[in-house]
Amino acid sequence: MIGFTLRRLVLLLPVFFVVSLVVFFIIHLVPGDPIDNLMRAGSTPEQRLQIAAKYGLDRSLVEQYVTWMGRLLTGDLGTSIIQGRPVSALIARNLPYSLELGIAALLFSTLTGIAAGVIAASYQGTRVDDSITGFILLGSTVPSFWLGLLLILVFAVWLGWVPVSGARGWSSLILPTIAAGLGGIALVARVTRIAMIETSRQDFVTLLHAKGLPPFIIQLRHVLRHAMVPVVTILSLRIGWVLGGAVTIEYVFARPGLGSLLIRALNQRDYPLVQGCLLMLAMAVIIGALIGDIVQAAMDPRQREARA
Amino acid sequence: MNRRGFLASVSVVTLAAGLGLAGGYSARASEPEAVFALGSAEIGAPHHDPIRATLLSTVATLIYDRLIEQDVDQSYHPHLAESWENSPDGMNWTFKLRQGVRFHDGEPFNAATIAWWIPKFKGSPNEYLVDAVDRVEVVDDYTVRFVMKRAEPNLIYNLASSFMGIPSPKAYDAAGDNFGVTEAVGTGPFMFESFAVGQETVLVANEDYSWGSDLSNNKGAPHVKRLTLREIPDASTAFLELKTGGVGLLLGVPDQFLPQLQAEEMLDFRSLPGFGITYLAFNTRAEPFGDAAVRQATALAVDQGAILKSVFNGIGLEAHQFLISTLVESKIDPKLEIHHDLAKANELLDKAGWQRGDDGIRVKDGKPLKIKLTAQSETAIKRTAEIVQAQLKAIGMVVEIDIFDSTTVVDQLKKGQHQLAVRQYGWNNADILDWFFSTTNIPYPNSSGWQDEKSQELRNVAMQQSKTQDERVANFRKYQENLIGNFLFVPIHEPVQNYAFNKTMLDVPAKLRGTQLVQATAVDIKVIG
Repeated sequence: MIGFTLRRLVLLLPVFFVVSLVVFFIIHLVPGDPIDNLMRAGSTPEQRLQIAAKYGLDRSLVEQYVTWMGRLLTGDLGTSIIQGRPVSALIARNLPYSLELGIAALLFSTLTGIAAGVIAASYQGTRVDDSITGFILLGSTVPSFWLGLLLILVFAVWLGWVPVSGARGWSSLILPTIAAGLGGIALVARVTRIAMIETSRQDFVTLLHAKGLPPFIIQLRHVLRHAMVPVVTILSLRIGWVLGGAVTIEYVFARPGLGSLLIRALNQRDYPLVQGCLLMLAMAVIIGALIGDIVQAAMDPRQREARA
Repeated sequence: MNRRGFLASVSVVTLAAGLGLAGGYSARASEPEAVFALGSAEIGAPHHDPIRATLLSTVATLIYDRLIEQDVDQSYHPHLAESWENSPDGMNWTFKLRQGVRFHDGEPFNAATIAWWIPKFKGSPNEYLVDAVDRVEVVDDYTVRFVMKRAEPNLIYNLASSFMGIPSPKAYDAAGDNFGVTEAVGTGPFMFESFAVGQETVLVANEDYSWGSDLSNNKGAPHVKRLTLREIPDASTAFLELKTGGVGLLLGVPDQFLPQLQAEEMLDFRSLPGFGITYLAFNTRAEPFGDAAVRQATALAVDQGAILKSVFNGIGLEAHQFLISTLVESKIDPKLEIHHDLAKANELLDKAGWQRGDDGIRVKDGKPLKIKLTAQSETAIKRTAEIVQAQLKAIGMVVEIDIFDSTTVVDQLKKGQHQLAVRQYGWNNADILDWFFSTTNIPYPNSSGWQDEKSQELRNVAMQQSKTQDERVANFRKYQENLIGNFLFVPIHEPVQNYAFNKTMLDVPAKLRGTQLVQATAVDIKVIG
């Protein structure tokens, strides 16, 4: 198991290099540059050149990449051109809000999704299954932007139970969590349901039934446990989403976070900040996948051997 | 750690994070408090340092005072400068400063402050505001003289800019790059308490304040003792916050929300004249707009009245020249203003050799009259582009609309890849003409690519040779008349600035003073109950 983990960690190095290349160059493919957003009526062309020189934007892209990479290896993500603050400080300022919402939404969608998947699988082919499957379909297609506004209208405006927006305490977390988590519920429930149904058809389940174990115990203790492997895979891939997947939710609910930081930086073509945020999110996805691999391998020795 | 333990830990961390963030916000029920939501254009200001900022929010006008204030009619009023005098040759400005003013950190405001402050702009993005000043001479403790490199009657406008709020020298030098982020010290009616970029700024009343300008009824400490200015990017969410009382006042309401606002009993709104113009920008380097007749025909085909009604619900004014209507420089010869005249537009194209085909589309030398209209993805701009597309069809011009985000639009303009673009600007000074049409600003912001000796000569006179304000007004009128005579733009709409408030929570003066709802009104606002 230790050898498996170490091999996976070593593989991260070339992945990190490729990710850094993509992250650095992708923003330069988008038209526009940050200096346009620093120019005010009355600014002179000389000031434009000064700004370009200050942030190294007058050098070739390769030179800029080498400088950026050199700093990155020392843990320096550079300075935001628009905000004039260290990128790492801006990320650190927004990260807790993203983690707070992301973890809450992940927990909400995981627990609710697994429960819905188990119930749907247990009542396969009945109206209960149809209702849950219908809800899953609806949940995966409703735009979170629209859902967010609908939730605000019902629970904040009409009922007055929670605040409309902001990031002030747990009550302001409820609606964004539901809006951000609904799509996840659909995904987790769908995967759980299919895995449960497939596992239920295996011989050992037939044997358990033959032994006279109550169906409730068989489903929760034996079938669900085996069905968790694909669910864990899905959840590990959503670790990256935890950090940056709630962009529209942050926008609707006026919440700070990495997603809104990235969108603002993209609109302003704030290269260092975009690169810092993208690198952070990409690494979260990669590390999420790594954790998923390790957890899967720990849960199922066959996978560990297959991937060795 | 087992799975149960892991889940429990995550839950505790999440809850703790939630409560921890909540802990930073505590209401003080005994004090009159208010929450304002900043307008969409103000969102994302990275700090409140007026010297090095490229984007400042209303917050800066509450923390810092300026030497001079500008009213809604663009007139100038004393504030930290009690009076001022410009020498006949325009080469010296003398300011008498108000006495008894103190910064929030207790430091005195005097002539030494100004002598420290003006040189601070050197190398900053706002250097142009004072670049005509050669040096500042301290005449006595409360009198300063600006010795000019050249006559600059527009200095008075620059000094009334929100970027000319005066910070405390001691606090500014001590804080370095953190000034405006972790602290912001001015002489204004509100004092900085906290700031979270993209989220909110919390201010508290400066109880020692007694030097309000004559634009405010209240010259002393503000009635609101604790003021939170929130950043809510989505206009619908901001409106719902206003409706539920989460926010007392919105500093900027899109026109399309006004009918809903008027339908709500507890809501009310105030308006101020516009701060900018929506217009069509030609690229004179791209055919067919190299031809003045095609530009003129396009301009005359646009029906400003129809756009005002259908896009802006009748709110605001039709624009027939390039400057906002409260500027005296906007009063040009009425015969030169651009008004809808479809018959003349068609006649011009006929004369220019553009003949209508069977399908109604004009053709010249085998080429159809087909153009691209660049616009950004904001609702009002997109709708304006659609109406313009329909209106230009009436002169046999086929318009294809290209929608991009604002930075990509700017990139297209810089590269001269556009033919016609829907643009908006926000600026209350005639020097916007120089910004968009001076030869020195090609390719951007002069994306029209206009290069003309006569136009540039008039620009130079207006910008550099005006010695007095009256001369400047006359010179800018001549400059605009030249530009409009060459049909370099199509003025469309002059919006109004709308401010909505919850009248069960706030008492907002019926008449707003200042060019925007800023310090002058904020100190007069009272909390109800």
